[in-house]
Amino acid sequence: MIETMNSKGRRRHPLAFPSIFPIVLISLLVLSIPANAQEYRSGWDIVDSGTLEDLYSVESQGDEIWAFGENGIMIMSLDGGLTWGVGESLTLSDLTISSSGYGSFLTASSDGTILLKSANDTEWSNITFDFGNELIYGACLTGVSELVIVGGNGTIWTYEINEWTNRSVSGWNLFDVSFLDSERGIAVGEQGTILFSDDGGESWDYRDAPTEASSSRITDVEFFSEIRAYAITDEGGVIKSSREINTAVGFLWNMQYFESEDNSADLGENLTSIEIATTNKFLLSGKGGYLSMSKDGGNIVTRQIIPLDNSTSINDITMMDSFNGVAVGSNGSLLLTERSGEDEQIGFEVMDFSEFGNFVDYSKGMLIDGLYATINIVIFGIFLGFFLGISLSMMKTSPTTLKDISQKRSRTAVRITGVIFTVIGASFLNHLVPIIRDLGLDGWEYIYAPIGIINPDGITGDLQFENFLFLILGVCLLLLGILLVSANGEYKKSHFNIRGRNIIWNPWGIRPLNFIATIYTDIFRNTPLIVQFLFIHFGVQIGALVGDPGAEILGNSSNFILSFLRDDILSNRACVSAIFALGLNSGAYQCETIRGAISAIPSGQMEAGRSIGLNYIQTMRLVIMPQAIRICIPPMGNEMVNLVLNSSLAMVIGYSELTRKAKLINAVTFQVFWSYGMVLISYFIVTWTLALFLRYMENKTRIPGLGISGGS
Amino acid sequence: MSNVLTIVDMHKTYSGGVHAVRGVSFDVNQGESVAIIGSSGSGKSTVLRCINRLIEPTEGEIRLRGNQINTPYTDINDVRSRIGMVFQSFELFSHLKVIDNVTLGLRHVRKMSKRDAENAALEVLEKVDMLDRKDAYPGNLSGGQKQRVAIARALAMKPEVMLFDEPTSALDPELIGSVLKTIRGLADEGMTMIVVTHEIGFARDVADRVLYMDKGIIAESGKSSIIDNPKTDRLKRFLSSIAEED
Repeated sequence: MIETMNSKGRRRHPLAFPSIFPIVLISLLVLSIPANAQEYRSGWDIVDSGTLEDLYSVESQGDEIWAFGENGIMIMSLDGGLTWGVGESLTLSDLTISSSGYGSFLTASSDGTILLKSANDTEWSNITFDFGNELIYGACLTGVSELVIVGGNGTIWTYEINEWTNRSVSGWNLFDVSFLDSERGIAVGEQGTILFSDDGGESWDYRDAPTEASSSRITDVEFFSEIRAYAITDEGGVIKSSREINTAVGFLWNMQYFESEDNSADLGENLTSIEIATTNKFLLSGKGGYLSMSKDGGNIVTRQIIPLDNSTSINDITMMDSFNGVAVGSNGSLLLTERSGEDEQIGFEVMDFSEFGNFVDYSKGMLIDGLYATINIVIFGIFLGFFLGISLSMMKTSPTTLKDISQKRSRTAVRITGVIFTVIGASFLNHLVPIIRDLGLDGWEYIYAPIGIINPDGITGDLQFENFLFLILGVCLLLLGILLVSANGEYKKSHFNIRGRNIIWNPWGIRPLNFIATIYTDIFRNTPLIVQFLFIHFGVQIGALVGDPGAEILGNSSNFILSFLRDDILSNRACVSAIFALGLNSGAYQCETIRGAISAIPSGQMEAGRSIGLNYIQTMRLVIMPQAIRICIPPMGNEMVNLVLNSSLAMVIGYSELTRKAKLINAVTFQVFWSYGMVLISYFIVTWTLALFLRYMENKTRIPGLGISGGS
Repeated sequence: MSNVLTIVDMHKTYSGGVHAVRGVSFDVNQGESVAIIGSSGSGKSTVLRCINRLIEPTEGEIRLRGNQINTPYTDINDVRSRIGMVFQSFELFSHLKVIDNVTLGLRHVRKMSKRDAENAALEVLEKVDMLDRKDAYPGNLSGGQKQRVAIARALAMKPEVMLFDEPTSALDPELIGSVLKTIRGLADEGMTMIVVTHEIGFARDVADRVLYMDKGIIAESGKSSIIDNPKTDRLKRFLSSIAEED
């Protein structure tokens, strides 16, 4: 029977599991909720194109937009892309090429079919020509009814005044051509071919592609302005040419490296076309439902959300102006944007916070941040408080008196020490007398002198503690010195007879450690915590005193824990102050709690420990404290829960913990009940977890055979 | 026989003014067992506690093997480790298992390794017949078992003299036997000991010498035979009052 009781004492208590549960729950919550809870919506809208044929290219001028595609399909819109009509097919070839400008539209097929709708004409005219066996890949209008086409093996033809002229060069396949005006144009092709013409396509010069693209297929080029031209390679690269001090656009070409892709030059997409909206803003389309946009010339390219699935190939984009655009793709897909395709941040909408879901959506991120901040100061505060509590309670219960200390030394040694103390103490006070006199105090005002002699320097925030420490040390050393000098070797209490009353005066019974600890606990237990917060943060500025040097000591360490300490704790002055205020305050209370528990240990335990030869400290550490801590787990639980709840006062020093976050949430949402209610729940989760943990500890550390027994 | 312990004219006045011990002197020789008897409040426990200075004597000298030990310069922890003490209320460390109770002093005072300490502890636990309960917690032991563990704890330090402060007073009559048997065994082995006790029979059987204390002084002392033939009236009265109780 006794054996089973014994084993039961060591068994893990069933509470072990449930107490871990909320901890895990909170961790999961914190981990699963992204730091940025912003949601996005596509900047593109689907528009009905009226056809299911693949659309290959699209052109716009003003509100007139034409899209061309499979089997000669031609559709148009006259209202900026909102409604579309299918035009009469003039050919059965796939219209993969298009161009617009000067009021004219042009579309072409690789087999040489070329349709032109001149600005002077309302009808399309067929200007199909036989280019031999070469396929054509690109075309560009250079006037109302002038154009340039490029194609296989360096084929270039110009069309002017109803005449085709062969301008072919010897070289690789050319895939696209783009003219800035009637004179200056760029043609691009296989093996990094870049050709430049400044005479309307009559003659062409080779330009060097960037070395990274020297063997790439350059498939699309846009000669946008005097200062910028862009081209793409079909493997996902963007090259661009800018006007330099000595050269015009089109001479020097650079590979674009994307910051958004870890500085790679490869988007990893099969690009189909590039459309320039402004000098630095361009859109890219690609197979696999790819539409992206850059607003800074290509440093950061952001893939856009599109309302189509990834099997849709986006073939071409046209921008009517810098914001409105149309993209076309396979199976008659047609997308319209009013914001250059940029994703819409839903969070920018003014939300209706009277809807709880919206409210929680808005506030949860802030609450999690606040919870994190609260947990930071609470954990460090608990450690500091517990350390202080244990130390102070041991100091306070220490039985060593001045008599014990003095008795072990010879009387001469005691008296010499006394003389030294007296002299040092007196000199400290002597140094301070003029300072105190110069404070300009009168009568009872002198009770504030200890604060007055500290000089906070208003500009640098530095404090001079020396004076205050000198005052305390001076008074203590002087009194102690006088006492030691008066030692006669007996260390007995003195009896005074004052007006017939017997006054017992026993300075030798003073316990120095107890004395120090008592002063500490008296100060912290007899002043309000909120004032301690304000005094420690704004008055002492402990964040600057401790946090800044601390962060400096840690340097640039990249160690996970050290960098956390530096960046999240020490660099945040309010955080350091809050930890100190909570820890110092809690230490004073925990000291009394632990002292109470120590008192509850039978004196025989200390005697038993001492009787086997353990010294006082050893007995405290090995015998008294292990039992006292077990006894004081319930009141310590109180103390720690108090600490968590008291941490809300950190808001007065501007630390963004949970309560302050609630205030901020309330300031935005005006939902008072929900703001503070959610904070209540958050606090409850933290403290309840702590309480469960302490309950578990209590059961785990319970000493068999102690406590209530004998049934109900 | 050499003197292990010498007490000369010891006085103790408590801070409340009670003059509990008024000049007690006696010697304890190597291997001798001394029983101190006397009524409650006669100062016998105070004498015992003064010896290992759990109570500071006000006056007088206490010598352990010729060296005075009640000076401010004495290494009190060393002295205590040489004097074993067993308390009336056991005072086992309730948060430690039996074996850890016994090894605590060995490991932290004698600085023995954990293994050596445990071997030594098992030895003394066997001596007090508590080997089978070495992993129990004190809270799960009976009074007699607890007191035997307390004896083992003191014995493990290999003390030069053992002090028993009413070791059986807190025990039920049927549990007293095992403890007394253990103490008797120690006496037979030649352990020097001072036993403060109310067990007159035990004092008579085991003690080489009996001190009868009354009102802070040793009123009568001598071989254990004085219990059968008391010389002073005070001892006679004390013995008869105990006989009446029984």
